[in-house]
Amino acid sequence: MQARLTGFNENEILLYLGYRGQEYPAEVEEQIKRCEKEVLAAASPRLIWRKLSTDGVDFAALSLEGKDIRELLKGCTEAVLMAVTLGQGIDRLLTRKSVSNMADAVIMDACASAAIENVADNFEFDLREETEASGRYLTNRFSPGYGDLPLSAQKKLCAALDTERKIGLSLSPALLMIPGKSVTAILGISGTTKPLRKRGCISCSLFRDCMYRREGKSCKIYGSPPDPI
Amino acid sequence: MYNRIILDGGMGTMLQAAGLGLGERPELFGINHPEIVEKIQRSYVEAGSQVIYANTFGANVHKLAGTGYTVEEVIAANIAIAKKAADGKAKVALDVGPIGELLEPLGMLSFEKAYEIYAQIVKAGAAGGADLVIFETMTDLYEVKAAVLAAKENSDLPVWATMSFEASGRTFTGTTVAAMALTLTGLGVDALGINCSLGPKELAPLVGELRQWTDLPLIVKPNAGLPDPATGAYSMGAAEFGQCMAGYPELGASIFGGCCGTTPEFIRALADSLREAEMSGTKELRRGVCSASQTAEFGKIPGHGRILVIGERINPTGKKRFAQALREGDMNYIMERAVEQAEAGADILDINVGLPGVNEPEMMTRVVKAVQSVVSLPLQIDSSDPAAIEAGLRAVDGRAIVNSVNGEPEVLAKILPIVKKYGAAVVGLTMDKGGIPQNAETRVAIAERILQAAKDHGIPREDVLIDTLTLTISAQQEQAAETLKAVRHVYEEMGLHCVLGVSNISFGLPERIHATVNFLIQAMHCGLDFPIVNPNQKEMMDAVVSYRALSGEDKDCAAYIERFAKNASDDAAAVSSKNMTHTSTSGMAMETAVLKGLKQEVANLTEQYLETMSELDVINLKLIPALDVVGEKYEKQQIFLPQLINAANAACAGFDLIKTRIAGRGEENLSKGKILLATVEGDIHDIGKNIVRVVLENYGYQVIDLGRDVPVERVVESAKRENVPLVGLSALMTTTVNSMRKTIEALRRSGHPCKIFVGGAVLTERYAMEIGADFYAKDAKASADIAKEVLG
Repeated sequence: MQARLTGFNENEILLYLGYRGQEYPAEVEEQIKRCEKEVLAAASPRLIWRKLSTDGVDFAALSLEGKDIRELLKGCTEAVLMAVTLGQGIDRLLTRKSVSNMADAVIMDACASAAIENVADNFEFDLREETEASGRYLTNRFSPGYGDLPLSAQKKLCAALDTERKIGLSLSPALLMIPGKSVTAILGISGTTKPLRKRGCISCSLFRDCMYRREGKSCKIYGSPPDPI
Repeated sequence: MYNRIILDGGMGTMLQAAGLGLGERPELFGINHPEIVEKIQRSYVEAGSQVIYANTFGANVHKLAGTGYTVEEVIAANIAIAKKAADGKAKVALDVGPIGELLEPLGMLSFEKAYEIYAQIVKAGAAGGADLVIFETMTDLYEVKAAVLAAKENSDLPVWATMSFEASGRTFTGTTVAAMALTLTGLGVDALGINCSLGPKELAPLVGELRQWTDLPLIVKPNAGLPDPATGAYSMGAAEFGQCMAGYPELGASIFGGCCGTTPEFIRALADSLREAEMSGTKELRRGVCSASQTAEFGKIPGHGRILVIGERINPTGKKRFAQALREGDMNYIMERAVEQAEAGADILDINVGLPGVNEPEMMTRVVKAVQSVVSLPLQIDSSDPAAIEAGLRAVDGRAIVNSVNGEPEVLAKILPIVKKYGAAVVGLTMDKGGIPQNAETRVAIAERILQAAKDHGIPREDVLIDTLTLTISAQQEQAAETLKAVRHVYEEMGLHCVLGVSNISFGLPERIHATVNFLIQAMHCGLDFPIVNPNQKEMMDAVVSYRALSGEDKDCAAYIERFAKNASDDAAAVSSKNMTHTSTSGMAMETAVLKGLKQEVANLTEQYLETMSELDVINLKLIPALDVVGEKYEKQQIFLPQLINAANAACAGFDLIKTRIAGRGEENLSKGKILLATVEGDIHDIGKNIVRVVLENYGYQVIDLGRDVPVERVVESAKRENVPLVGLSALMTTTVNSMRKTIEALRRSGHPCKIFVGGAVLTERYAMEIGADFYAKDAKASADIAKEVLG
């Protein structure tokens, strides 16, 4: 399985840019298209993943906290750890653009966020196909910082996947991922089908100050997907 | 038979097989199970390893934090194990991997701090009795540079370095094979190469490339093929590995081993297959200067010199606005000049920060770091102060040029050792105590003297660039011919590269560009291959691009066609837009121009207004009201974020014009008040803060942007020193909001009277108040409203 960046979800880009149904001038649309191209050229998507048996010592050593992850992996025989990144080229591009053209920088930041979601979605899609072909089922992906899975799980995930060495992904002391446009997550594989969850915001620990909610919207993990524009 | 050295194979894989848990530190496993590590290492020695790596890869203060062990303890114990295993039959290397925290500019670890971390490791290794130091599996050239300097400045041990590349020929951080070779050869390592990354088949082209850029012994330590993504198991067997490695001597490598997935069996196969191999010699080397990710390759002489354009705009001499930026520490302005020149086509950027009242070495470090955070061009460190030159060379991520030395023995004696230490190239000015000689012959004689001195210091002739000095024709008309004559001699007879600061030729003349371009063309014809110019002048770059097409450097005139085919259509567009602008500008209000994000129109309008209005009136009566309209539309959700910032960018064109005019008169800048901005300690997401900066600047406030990951003390100290009445803090993550609270507390404790506003994705109005802020800014527009309320 390869890291695949196959396109940009433009609604997602607009959502990140705070678009809520305003006029959408042609020149801004053109600007976004141009920014997408530059992001695509600067991105070098990479993927690392591994499967761990949920009753093995390696998985136990991760000692992931919280009821959400327990629930995700309930009935699962295997856990899949994954990490994807767009690489440092994007960080450099964003730094350079925030000096030379802030508007482009903001748009490219949104494009890159959409791009890394796309890479993560593609991996999940590929793995789901492979898993279902073998008669088993894949859960949603779940990332550190979602729900009650603490951000500190990031550290364990990156260590277990050796992300620094394998895909050039490291963590700052405050657990920020560098390169910035990266996603780590856990998925479960089980023999019985489980509903792919869309849970309400109410069970998310970011409930009070979630930036989507403040806008009257919700994220893809807990709530319904953002309104189509 | 050649002088080959066999290294060891994988350690991690062997330790895992022997019981090392997932995420457990191998160095501590060694302390707890010395017999296991010793057994593995002994089996490598028995398989033929002549150098074994001690189990010290991650023994640094960052990775050992919280384990209860010191770096010294862990290194001493693991070297002792290796020495016991080697038992005099093999050398023991202090094995050093990446720190595990990313360096600036993308990460938060400073170059200087990385140096300290490596210095501690090297000292411990030397004390433990290691025979050499190997830095391996590195991906960031800047980190390797810190490591190599730390090793060379803190021990006498031989230093080897290997980095890990992807098949693209770049590391994860973008370092190229050429940049590694140029930089590390310059720094004086004893051997260098590639480890980990890929299998022996995939590494071959990279080793071939490496051989072209260095004459040092090359190390190859590949993985056992490629890993299975799901299980991590490697694909290659020992016999196949040995066979694949047999081709490497021919590529010029002489030091061999294995990395992930290899075992003693692999090393035995390797040693067997390399027994009879013939090593190929070094061919003529390619040369150049580089950043970590981009190389400016020097042309061969004789031949049609490859032209490398050195951008001259980062220099306060005669530039009041630039001087002001330096005094205010306004890195943003300087970074803009860097990006501008890179986009205009410069190959190398000259960095000069000499200004009375500015601490030159300190400023050099700061500017070099700022510039290389936004452009990837190689740099030229321009100073006559040895301390500033050394500061610059140290901070450069790559291999630089020093500008300059002259023929004065004292100057040569002071500066050439620094050039040598950092492996830089150097510009020699053909002048001395007696001033600039009036004829070509004497300048050439000085060039000879400089070349000799460089050679005496171990600097190869290919790295000596001669500047025969451009004088102004409005004052010394006959000198232009002497300069050119000297260029021709230096290039053709001495076979050295030539540098000239071209623009000086036309000083004091009207329409300078004509004389300057003409001189540039003549000089390139005589052999000038490193013109120092203003690349933003289209005519200059036109001349360079044309010259490259005529000399054959620009193969199939591809770059020429690209530039001018594009220009032709741009010109047509420019003409029509100019016509349009003419009619529309006269009718277009500032408000419309700003709202639509039209930079050129805003600049034109600003100029028009300045004919009849004062700068302050243009700001207060034209630009700000226009921004207010935009802000209001944003607030009412009639426009969205990109339009808000496009408008701010456009307004910027007007403000820049006004600022340059005021600086040109040597007056204090107009400002509606100072605002300090910072992304708090521990946080590196600064896009929100940057948006706020652009918007506030365009409302006429003077923004002091401290950047990201700003320590609490620096915020307090800067706020007091600059007597700032309004401080804005940004934090994106829940993990860093706490340092926002600490920063606010420290500001309050300091007694400095200021208002504080905060913003960031995870903040809310209530939380902002809870941590003691005066205002919560939900977006950039809100921060402008707050500024208005506090500062007027």
